Amino acid sequence: MQQEASVRGDQPSKATMEFRQGSAIRQLWETNLEVFQRDKMALFGLFIFAVFAIVAIFAPQIAPNDPLTPLKNNEGDWIKDAMPYWLAEAGEDEAEGYVNNFLLGTTNIGRDIYSQLIHGSRSALLVGFSAAAAVAVIGTVVGLLAGYYGGWVDAILMRAADVAFGIPFIPFIIVISAFLDPSIWNVVVAMAALLWRDTGRVIRSQVLVIKEQAFVSAARVSGASDLRIIFVYIAPSILPLSFLYGSFAIAWAILTEASVSFLGFSDPETISWGFMLQDAFNSLALSREAFYWIVPPGLCIMLTVMAGFFIGRGYEEVLFPRLRRM
Amino acid sequence: MSILSIRDLKVNYETQDGTVQAVDGVSLDLEEGQHLGLIGESGCGKTTLLKAIVQVLPRNGHIVSGEIKFQGMDLLKLPPAEMRQLRWREIATIPQASMDSLNPVQRVGSQLTKLLRVRGGYRKKAARKRAVDLFDMVGLDTERLMHYPHEFSGGMKQRAVIAMALALEPSLLIADEPVTALDVIVQHQILEVLRELERELNLTVMLITHDISVVAQVCDSVSVMYAGRIVEEAAAEPFFASPAHPYSLGLQQAFPNLARPRDELVSIEGYPPDLREPPSGCRFAERCPFAQDDCHETDPQLEVVGDGRLAACLRSSEMDALRIQAEDPTLWQNVEVARGLSTPHPPAPSSPHESLPFGGGRPTRREGETFVGSTTTDGSPSLSMGSRGHRPAGEGFGEGENMPLLQMNDVSKQFKIGGGLAGLLRGDKEQTVYAVNNISFTLRRGESLGLAGESGCGKSTTGKLLVKLLDASDGSIVFDGDDLARVDDKKLLGFRSRVQLMFQNPFEALNPRFTLYRSLTEPLIIHGWKDESERTQRVVETLDRVNLRPAEVFLDKYPHQLSGGQLQRVVLARALVLHPDFLVADEPVSMLDVSVRAGILNTTRRLARELGLATVYISHDLSLLQYTCDRIAIMYLGEIVEIGPSNEVINNPQHPYTQALIAAVPAPDPTIENPPLRIREGVPRPTEQFIGCPFAQRCPEVMEACLEIRPPVIGDERGHQAQCHLYGEHRDSPKLNREAQLAR
Repeated sequence: MQQEASVRGDQPSKATMEFRQGSAIRQLWETNLEVFQRDKMALFGLFIFAVFAIVAIFAPQIAPNDPLTPLKNNEGDWIKDAMPYWLAEAGEDEAEGYVNNFLLGTTNIGRDIYSQLIHGSRSALLVGFSAAAAVAVIGTVVGLLAGYYGGWVDAILMRAADVAFGIPFIPFIIVISAFLDPSIWNVVVAMAALLWRDTGRVIRSQVLVIKEQAFVSAARVSGASDLRIIFVYIAPSILPLSFLYGSFAIAWAILTEASVSFLGFSDPETISWGFMLQDAFNSLALSREAFYWIVPPGLCIMLTVMAGFFIGRGYEEVLFPRLRRM
Repeated sequence: MSILSIRDLKVNYETQDGTVQAVDGVSLDLEEGQHLGLIGESGCGKTTLLKAIVQVLPRNGHIVSGEIKFQGMDLLKLPPAEMRQLRWREIATIPQASMDSLNPVQRVGSQLTKLLRVRGGYRKKAARKRAVDLFDMVGLDTERLMHYPHEFSGGMKQRAVIAMALALEPSLLIADEPVTALDVIVQHQILEVLRELERELNLTVMLITHDISVVAQVCDSVSVMYAGRIVEEAAAEPFFASPAHPYSLGLQQAFPNLARPRDELVSIEGYPPDLREPPSGCRFAERCPFAQDDCHETDPQLEVVGDGRLAACLRSSEMDALRIQAEDPTLWQNVEVARGLSTPHPPAPSSPHESLPFGGGRPTRREGETFVGSTTTDGSPSLSMGSRGHRPAGEGFGEGENMPLLQMNDVSKQFKIGGGLAGLLRGDKEQTVYAVNNISFTLRRGESLGLAGESGCGKSTTGKLLVKLLDASDGSIVFDGDDLARVDDKKLLGFRSRVQLMFQNPFEALNPRFTLYRSLTEPLIIHGWKDESERTQRVVETLDRVNLRPAEVFLDKYPHQLSGGQLQRVVLARALVLHPDFLVADEPVSMLDVSVRAGILNTTRRLARELGLATVYISHDLSLLQYTCDRIAIMYLGEIVEIGPSNEVINNPQHPYTQALIAAVPAPDPTIENPPLRIREGVPRPTEQFIGCPFAQRCPEVMEACLEIRPPVIGDERGHQAQCHLYGEHRDSPKLNREAQLAR
């Protein structure tokens, strides 16, 4: 039935003949395209990331004030704990000697919360994407090597993964932060050092399946080298899986960075959403019901994490179509 | 009285691409005690019919119209609860791959007694007694009731499944492919069990299979199904003697037959029609060599064509004449040409090189890549296709007139299992599996050798050793003068360009992410073909060679867009694209439908002859090997127990194992009943090396010497050798009886 149609298909167009060479890349591209075409949630996730990316890139232009410099009024005093202009009582700002144009008010040392929020997207995305890239790349390479070569390579890498599984994550970051200078990169380093374990395991098992398939033997019989088999035959099949784990890792990294900052192990010179929450927490913003200080960074964390999971879910559905029915 | 009566049944599947009319107007009557065989290739609606009868159609399938009466009850009007009562108790089914349907975490016996108690209303004791009886009935040791499914071999599981199906004494048993995927010997024994049960219990059986020899062995009547319809109905003997529908004719002639070897098998070209829009005329017309113009317009009805025989063919009156014409395989090949569906190609494969520039060395060969030891004088690899003609089987075995292409000298391969860190921690003892033991043979250029034996006999391992996917543990494999254990990388690459492997499962053998062009061009890229247009030209030529025409249409297809038969041709093309000297084909057609098997075999055999390709075929199917090979080697537990010219080995088998294998092949002829086998099923796991003969445990002729002394290799001047004491100096050693043997 289906075969018949295929036999009598039309002659390939010239364009497809030329396209044939890059077919592996094209297929990967098609898989990615399929994810976002099929799954509107994934598309929504992508949209969220796009918005935050634009905000992050143009943060200095978008943000009205410097996020770290305390704002001062006419008399040179810090504008502490200003309410957002849409909440503040009229005339209060004039009495205090400044113009209230703060969308989200100021902190207890007079920093502009809205500007902090804008700048926070930078560290969030920086940490998110670099940690995700590190996790996906390390995990994929480990999985490919362990799965393909087996034997002692597999034994060493997988025992290392066991060790990584045994190390508690947040305390590990705290220890790293204690040794290194406080910086948002600590989170990236810690994630790269530990979280490749899940990706590596999953990809290894997938490689074990693929390498037993006859087309891999066929490649070897044709004289293909190990590297060619790994990167031309096996890797394209497992790359969507790397993307899946990568997109989940984005969410984890942002969340982790927020947690670590909230616990107070972040660089005070770098604004992040987690840092903002910690700042708010320490200055008793909760008891003052300063929701405009707490809710926006929380919302941003939630949105980016959600975006990561939406995209991950999209990959999952394409990779494991059976999930769709559940 | 007819126990099952189906009238004009229509079953549709709703799919994304439209409604598939899977069963389209089937009427069928099954008398009490009748054994009906339902045959046809896959996708013809056989299994759908079964599912419709017991009403377990998948959610997207539904019965459009028709009537199914079982013992006078209309099954389609029966409430679900009553239908549930009927299943198993009255209509028992053995579904496809049912061996895997046993619950792995429950003892087989308790699964059986549970069934008896829940569905049969047996009391505890009675259920246990009945379970013992059932196991006895299907020839299973009653101790086995306490075992788990993983402790059973495939054949034993199938017996247990039959026992379960028959537990509630159903009046109708429907078995779907009950012996497919089983080894010949096991298959033979399962068929014997079925035959016995038919006799003893006066069972009514409907057997669904694609294998007409199975039908010949256990059925007394036959229905042939094609594209959702029944096209022929007859009693078994007249059916096998003289089929009355061209499709049946083709199916019958597509099977290699040990008793009547053929020069060329018939291959029914093409595929069943698209059942979303079935053709208005005869559904087989497109593939039928006898189709006339009116066949494409008039839909033939099932009509009486003889005493109690029905066939749906417009030309059934001329069938006697057509049957003689149908013997000619070229007639079947030309169907497509006649119908103008593809470009015409030369019908006779006698001189195909004239039109094709296939041959000639590779255009951009770099220095030093040639496999050293190549016999051609100009330094290019021997690609002069067709220069070496095929030698008739049996001619000049023994002394080769030139150096052998391949020599296996006492080659062994062992695997270690249960070792490693994990095994150490679990406390498993490391075990050695002796997969291949001291095998030796030589293969000359252009010669074809078949490796046969049950699964677990080391055939595939030998195949992997031959193409150096595995390295031998002991012994040497010499290819064209070079010891494979001692080739450097450069020589290895040369070797890789001359030796290729064809795989069992065509659906796995091609990278699903590559287009066919990419898959076929990869070997060329690896071997340094720089120019893309030359590569494309070679790929197109090769596709053309394996009858995938026009080749350009296939270049941009992905594997999932092709059928199994087409895929296997692509796999063959990939193997041939480098113009190798040696091809190993591991079960090349076992995953394919009967109708296309012959096509693949014919193409492979023809190309091997034309290209002077040495071939090793690995298969459990002796009739296939007899058809394709000059010589056959029988393997048992990693050893070659008999080797010789094909016809010699088949017609004059020396080793008791060979004799058993040949006796187990079901004949596609109901008048020949296979003799009972004198050998038990199940190949032991080769975890020890034998002092005596490896086959002694199962041998019906076992003697004292067999257990202690290695049997000698006895041969004749035609190169027919067997490794057995029956023909050596210990031939008078005292016989052991089976009981003593079992007690050991």
